[in-house]
Amino acid sequence: MDALLAQHLLNWLVLGSIYTLIALGFSLLFGVLDVIHFSHGDVSMAAPFVALAAIQAVAAWAVPLTGTGALLLAILISMAAIGLLGVLLDWLVIRRFRAAPAMMALVATVALGTVIRELIRTLYPQGSNPKPFPAIATDVIRLGDIVVPVFSLIVIAVSVLTVIALFALLNHTPVGVRIRAVAEDRAVARLMAIRPNRIFAVTFFIASAVGAVGAVFFVSHAGVVRFDYGVQLGLIGFSAAVIGGLGSMQGAILGSLLIAGIDMLVQIAVPDGASYRLVFIFLLVIGVLVLKPSGILGKPVFEKV
Amino acid sequence: MADTAQATSALVRRNGPSADLAIVAGVELGSAILLWSFLLSDRTAVIVALLALMGGIFAALQLRPALEERIVAAFHDRKRFATLLGAVIVLIYPFFLQGSGYAFHLLIVSMLYAVLALALNFQLGSANIPNFATGASYGIGAYTSALLALNFGVSFWLTLPVAAVVATAFGFLLGFPSMRTKESYLALVTIAFGIVVHQLLNNFDWTGGPNGLVGIPAPELFGHSFARPIEAFGFRLPSQANFYYLSAALVGLSIVCAKRLHESRVGLAWNALRADPLAARCQGIDVVWFKMLAFGVDAFLAAFAGTIYAFYVSYISPDNFTFLVSVTIMTMVIVGGMDNTLGVIIGAFFLTMLPEKLRIFSDYRLLFVGVVVILFLILRPQGLFPQRARNYGEHR
Amino acid sequence: MTPLLEVRGLTIRFGGLVAVCEVDLALNPSEVLCIIGPNGAGKSTLFNMISGIYRPSAGTVHLDGRDITGWPAHRIAAAGIARTFQSSRLFNDLTLIDNVVIGMHSRTKSGVLDALLRPGKARAELEAAAEKAGELIRAISPDLHARRNTLAGALPQADRRRLEIARALASDARVIMLDEPSSGMDDRDTDALMADVRRVMAERPGLSFLIIEHDMRLVAALPDRVAVIDYGRKIAEGDFADVRLMPRVQEAYLGQKAAEHA
Repeated sequence: MDALLAQHLLNWLVLGSIYTLIALGFSLLFGVLDVIHFSHGDVSMAAPFVALAAIQAVAAWAVPLTGTGALLLAILISMAAIGLLGVLLDWLVIRRFRAAPAMMALVATVALGTVIRELIRTLYPQGSNPKPFPAIATDVIRLGDIVVPVFSLIVIAVSVLTVIALFALLNHTPVGVRIRAVAEDRAVARLMAIRPNRIFAVTFFIASAVGAVGAVFFVSHAGVVRFDYGVQLGLIGFSAAVIGGLGSMQGAILGSLLIAGIDMLVQIAVPDGASYRLVFIFLLVIGVLVLKPSGILGKPVFEKV
Repeated sequence: MADTAQATSALVRRNGPSADLAIVAGVELGSAILLWSFLLSDRTAVIVALLALMGGIFAALQLRPALEERIVAAFHDRKRFATLLGAVIVLIYPFFLQGSGYAFHLLIVSMLYAVLALALNFQLGSANIPNFATGASYGIGAYTSALLALNFGVSFWLTLPVAAVVATAFGFLLGFPSMRTKESYLALVTIAFGIVVHQLLNNFDWTGGPNGLVGIPAPELFGHSFARPIEAFGFRLPSQANFYYLSAALVGLSIVCAKRLHESRVGLAWNALRADPLAARCQGIDVVWFKMLAFGVDAFLAAFAGTIYAFYVSYISPDNFTFLVSVTIMTMVIVGGMDNTLGVIIGAFFLTMLPEKLRIFSDYRLLFVGVVVILFLILRPQGLFPQRARNYGEHR
Repeated sequence: MTPLLEVRGLTIRFGGLVAVCEVDLALNPSEVLCIIGPNGAGKSTLFNMISGIYRPSAGTVHLDGRDITGWPAHRIAAAGIARTFQSSRLFNDLTLIDNVVIGMHSRTKSGVLDALLRPGKARAELEAAAEKAGELIRAISPDLHARRNTLAGALPQADRRRLEIARALASDARVIMLDEPSSGMDDRDTDALMADVRRVMAERPGLSFLIIEHDMRLVAALPDRVAVIDYGRKIAEGDFADVRLMPRVQEAYLGQKAAEHA
């Protein structure tokens, strides 16, 4: 195989995996709560900041961990913290919009995103400035002409495992059955002695923790993090979930791979592609929605009469 | 509710016409003075006190709905007087601003946002169409007129209608997908449209890229350049007064459009498809056409605001027309009160001035606005002034 | 006589499920036809196809000899078919008057340009519509008329149905389809409903009603003819007195065993 092509394919998969980790959260939250959690990108992007703080804390407390070990611990801490943050935000803000028109929840979570970004900017030491983020792995494997960064393999592997774990959780565990029950019909689920609010909390924890991993990968890939990175990552993740079909896990993956594909193609094939990547990504979004109004794998909305 | 209305109109008759005049004059002058003191005070304590006063007035109106009904009835019966007095206040207001460029600037920006919010209100308020691209229409209007003026020397007055037509065409284009998509999916289409427009403005050479367009010439009217101060009755108003009057005229125009459309078959059709699109179809309403119409009207008015903005600041860049601008406009409509013209204008003024006046906490401004918006949506989702029922002939 | 509304071989499939299968119906001018049948038989689905909400998989719908099959709902409404909904879909955040005025949408003309540039004309048209709406509501119920400037969302169930009928009448339709108009009504309300239908038919020659009903009191008294739908097929049609005795109809309603004993 052409080495360059292989390299591009690898990059595509890495990008697609990162987008998937964000899009999954959007899709899961919409499927279960029927709400668009627009600040999901910003919530996720808080993870790298938690991780950075955790690395410092680990160093300060002289825990006998350095380098990769400390980073790994920090990432786990950030996952838990962001998962809890998601639950907290649901409890504080989002649950108040369960019965409200979809537009209200959308605008409220847009504002919530601003609040999260501003909190990071004002509370984190020198929060306005970009912060270097350590690489998770710097080693590379050479397969002939192809250079495979270990980091890429980690991203792809973790994403695949996350997807498998999510599918297993939803389809083969009692919690998963309850989540699906609540997603299907909240009122009936309540009759079955399921407490929807608990299920919502669990869903928020999962979605946010998965998003945290995506954000950490994203900034580790870029080598740097800034308080407002969550806006664009969130928009792309949201778009991926929507064009795939909100509420469908497979759709979120498909949408992410599509968007990552356009992203890569434009940067490779279009002159000055890096500047125009967002144009093409969002034209793709418009195009897909014009042709498939409920996303590619979304169930067409059947009007109840 | 009918009882209240009847009781109120009985009250109106008993109190006679002079009471009506007093109420109208009191409300209009009072609001003008309140706004004036808010604009010109720069001490935090005073600003907070004024905010508390406004909150108190609002609370009083909430606790005594009859009071609000009484005021509404007075304005309704004294429509001509109210309009005339309002026009006079707007006309002489600049003379009381002590030549403060900052106060002028705040007023102009507030008025332009009021126009944008009224434009969006046709969609979000009247028809419940989520449009996150009003900022883009605003930008298309601004860039169209600025490019015409810079490259072809077209006069400001001619660029106004041209920009409106161009933006309306784009509005219909954006409305096209609404034929099939709706709700969150339609919201994403508009978000995507806004981002595409912003990115293209940011990348094309002929739009000046990220640096935007510089040196947009000031408009002229009968030989008077808008870059020059107005001198009248021995007073000298700063050059911004030109744009103050221009923006005020546009707000007036927007209010007339809003009223006329709201009280027409079109406004009713929009309301119908907000309440129940399927039932609306079964009443013979072509839902797709009316949705696209709402996109067109929104873009038309937004382009006017964009043109005035471009000529006012004489420098535009893509960052004036981002997704966040669209969200801000949307917030103004929601906070003010959907489908309530006055509410939407107040929402625009409130959300434009509040962060500016709270510069003392400059670092926490955005944070503060975000929290205010969330609290509003939780505590008062219908907005400051919820929509009011239409009145047909009988109340006049 | 050519029928006013003619439905031929109307069929719709949702995925593998055939919800309505080859139904034929003919509605003459100045006629009331009741459609009865067990819950889930496909009666409302039939209405949804005639009014253009669903596109039929096969078959045709003709109004006054004109083929309107597959037209969008708003064009069918404009062509003269008005309807109510089983779950009474009013515009809840608008006043009763507004609701009925919207029913006149296809009989009024003002567009955006009229509203903006000729406000007097647009306003006059709407005022006239509002006056007519007021009269329509008054004719249905003086009670409702007294509340005409309140929001529709606050009405009790029976009044919601009445208002929906007023809205359907407002369009000057030639065919009015009522989907279970008497549900949520007591006997007195139902009597008033029947009186309204008769009054309107006397006032508007040629107007016909297609009514889905469960209340056998109404079905026995009001319609000229009855059609029975079961499992998506028309199983009987004719005078109610005859139809009710047909074994197939009794089976559909009571189940096979019970029908044998009946």
